[in-house]
Amino acid sequence: MNDILLQLGKNPRARQLIQTLGIPLPMPQALARAKGPMEDRPLHDYEIAIGGDGDLTEVLAGSLARAGATALLTSGAHIPASFEQQGEAYGRPPRSLMLDALPEKLQVDALVFDATGIRETAGLRALYEFFHPLVASLRKCGRVILLARPPEQARDPGHAAAQAAIEGFVRSLGKELGKRGSTANLVWIDEDPAADRLAEGPLRFLLSKRSAFVSGQALHVSTRALLDSEDGSAFTPTWVRPLEGKVALVTGAARGIGKAAAELLAAEGAHVICLDRPGDDELVAETAREIGGTPLLIDVSDPEAGSAIAKAVKDGHGGVDIVVHNAGITRDKTLARMKPEHWDQCLAINLDAVVRISKVLVDEGALLDEGRVIVLSSIAGIAGNLGQTNYSATKAGVIGWTRALASELDERGITVNAIAPGFIETRLTAAIPVVIREVGRRLASLGQGGLPRDIGDAIVFLATPGAQGVTGNVLRVCGQSFVGA
Amino acid sequence: MPVSKQDKPSNRAVIVSGVRTPFVRAFGEFLELDTIGLANAAVSALLRRTELPHNALDSIVWGGVILPSLSPNVGREIALDLGLPASVEAMTCTRACASGLQAISLAAAAIERGEADVVIAGGSDSTSNAEIKLPQKLVRTLGPLLMGKAKATPRDMLGVLAQLMPLTDVLPRIPKIAERTTGELMGESCETMARRNEISREAQDEFAARSHHRAAAAIASGRLRDEVAPVETPSGKWVHDDGLVRGDTSVEKLAKLRPVFAKDGTLTAGNSSALTDGAAAVLLMNEEKARALGYTPLARIASWAYIGVDPADQLLMGPAIAMPKALERAGYGLADMDLVDMHEAFAAQVLCILKMLASRSFAQTRLGRSDGNAIGEIDPAKLNVHGGSVALGHPFGATGARMVTTIANELHQTGKLTALLGICAAGGLGAAMVLENAEA
Repeated sequence: MNDILLQLGKNPRARQLIQTLGIPLPMPQALARAKGPMEDRPLHDYEIAIGGDGDLTEVLAGSLARAGATALLTSGAHIPASFEQQGEAYGRPPRSLMLDALPEKLQVDALVFDATGIRETAGLRALYEFFHPLVASLRKCGRVILLARPPEQARDPGHAAAQAAIEGFVRSLGKELGKRGSTANLVWIDEDPAADRLAEGPLRFLLSKRSAFVSGQALHVSTRALLDSEDGSAFTPTWVRPLEGKVALVTGAARGIGKAAAELLAAEGAHVICLDRPGDDELVAETAREIGGTPLLIDVSDPEAGSAIAKAVKDGHGGVDIVVHNAGITRDKTLARMKPEHWDQCLAINLDAVVRISKVLVDEGALLDEGRVIVLSSIAGIAGNLGQTNYSATKAGVIGWTRALASELDERGITVNAIAPGFIETRLTAAIPVVIREVGRRLASLGQGGLPRDIGDAIVFLATPGAQGVTGNVLRVCGQSFVGA
Repeated sequence: MPVSKQDKPSNRAVIVSGVRTPFVRAFGEFLELDTIGLANAAVSALLRRTELPHNALDSIVWGGVILPSLSPNVGREIALDLGLPASVEAMTCTRACASGLQAISLAAAAIERGEADVVIAGGSDSTSNAEIKLPQKLVRTLGPLLMGKAKATPRDMLGVLAQLMPLTDVLPRIPKIAERTTGELMGESCETMARRNEISREAQDEFAARSHHRAAAAIASGRLRDEVAPVETPSGKWVHDDGLVRGDTSVEKLAKLRPVFAKDGTLTAGNSSALTDGAAAVLLMNEEKARALGYTPLARIASWAYIGVDPADQLLMGPAIAMPKALERAGYGLADMDLVDMHEAFAAQVLCILKMLASRSFAQTRLGRSDGNAIGEIDPAKLNVHGGSVALGHPFGATGARMVTTIANELHQTGKLTALLGICAAGGLGAAMVLENAEA
């Protein structure tokens, strides 16, 4: 767990010394992470430069003002009326920035570019014109967000090219910003005013400290799981204690990511059922007691696990709103040396159990409407990994399962998403040999491993009402790891 | 079938009279009078001027912010000090700067529930007599040794002394008006609000000068004579007049003052309310009882509202939400109000609230008003007609009772029908009350 380079980098003198001596050591920036539960204004006193000319002006103006940020507009002398109005209501009047005459010592907390208006490749120059002068003014641990339309929904190939180009831009910018702890992400929003409104939750998450280890990613926002279809104007999610009254089930809650997720879900008001193997009864009981949850001792690979869980959640809580499939194991060996039981165990727990238990929960009506299913995938499932044919198969499997189940359940307002962690500092990664571990950490754009809390924050985000527009997504929380594109 | 007392219209509470002490700069002429002493002065003057039979009084509800830690129920101490019948029960409440208004709300609620017929409500504060606190660290370290059961050996004593280092941590601290959760001084929070709502220094100074000029005019014309009772201090000196009002000030003079809360700030000692000592008391009665005892009701209370906002955002914006809420509860619009009286913690704070009330976006976004209209603009001629806290001073607990007294008298004397009061308070609280002319 002890990342010596990160510790060194935190000490300003050591940092300076290493830099003056020219020692070629990477100096990762310590990430600013959120403390405590979700705030009403996660972007309190942020100054955010806004660029681009698209369809999301109104949504951006409202989202930023509500979240406590001041907008700095680069659209020339004319400031859009919606920014003026929201600024007035929240006492955050927008300011105007001249890109060719930026104030000296300008520092901004985030750069947001609305690229939904770029309909042809020539329009991409606006990206250069906005980011080129401003990127040096981004504070440490700053945020870059681009808003675009999904290329596959483009009207013509030129439009598709322009929108697809944005993805490459974001991924490269993420790599350039990582050294300073900053992240760059993309939000694809379906061309639909209701989808535009659903972008507020993802915007809050990606701009806030809760997405410290998410970089180089694209989230897709759609109205697929929005029940009151119309135009989404009735969609007003709660931002503070958003999970009040919800029941969450977390498998593998005894330690690591599962424990972090259980704690964070409970902090947002959810009643958490902490599930783990009977062998871990003490740890599970302790976690459950600390967060006021309920322990549930079941081995997920047991064929009867699904009906036992369904019975427990229905009898005890009337059903479950949030299911986090976190339990997982590794049984690493190259394929030629892998014993059959290692293959079987890994497949049974990581994939069979997820598919089987979810099916029972849905069939028996234990999973409630507007619910959430969140499954832990892995970078290994996307990029593959030496000695992990079994593990990678399961983690790729859950991605396919996520997409299919999302289509099946969206009409009930249930969202299904996968989270693919990169290198996270846990018991699992602490056991990796030191050299490989170092490489694993430094290969990410952010130059460090993530913490269980980073995954927990992403899980909580996907579990909240504000994430109603996010379904069928695979969200990588990997500090933009080099592998897995 | 039992009938709820609340259903009886005769239970309506009315304001019969109000009196206050002069308001004096802290550490000035009232140094010898603590909050109970000031409260006694206001209540005894009220009793004298109204000639209220003491045995008619049911209770005292008092408000205060800096309460004496050995006798925090100031209300009861007043009753005992003034030799009122032992049956006059009392309580003391605190709601930061809205404590005085809160006391009046509680009194009205008690009357309207039929629990009491005659109540004195008000508030007082003596910033001069704020207790200088021993740090909790010192208390927790020495307490067990001095008061605990275990006998202390010299070795224990030495150990304790070692724990008390560094000494700066255990020196007594002078109290300051800082928000507990954010650590910000109130002026610093207001400085942020002025910046965020784009309130200029000139506008603040202009507002402050007007407050002083109106207060000075009210004093000069004798308008406040009925409301302010002279006080004799323990050393035998009589204090007749408010000590902070500067009738001769001007925008030019105020413009020369330096900002006090931020280097490039806009808040100065001139456009902020000062630390003040004083007390104010209001006599409330059941309307029927008032008439039976031969009093003329001045005003009745149509509604009130108390709200909270996040102190880390815009600490003093509360009235912008509370005032529309009180209006809505009373079934009025802002345009129906003949008078508006707002506590002036800072000129900038009042100007921020006025700007919010006048904003359509604010009404729509923050108050959920769907009709597309702003709450409204307030004509300066209706607002704080006899000045406000910037000029008169602000003894925290007394301000609400001062405002109710002045406005109740104003309604009665001018025949105007309605008035809206608004107060901001520490902790992000907002308070508002709608008064109606009792004769109309």
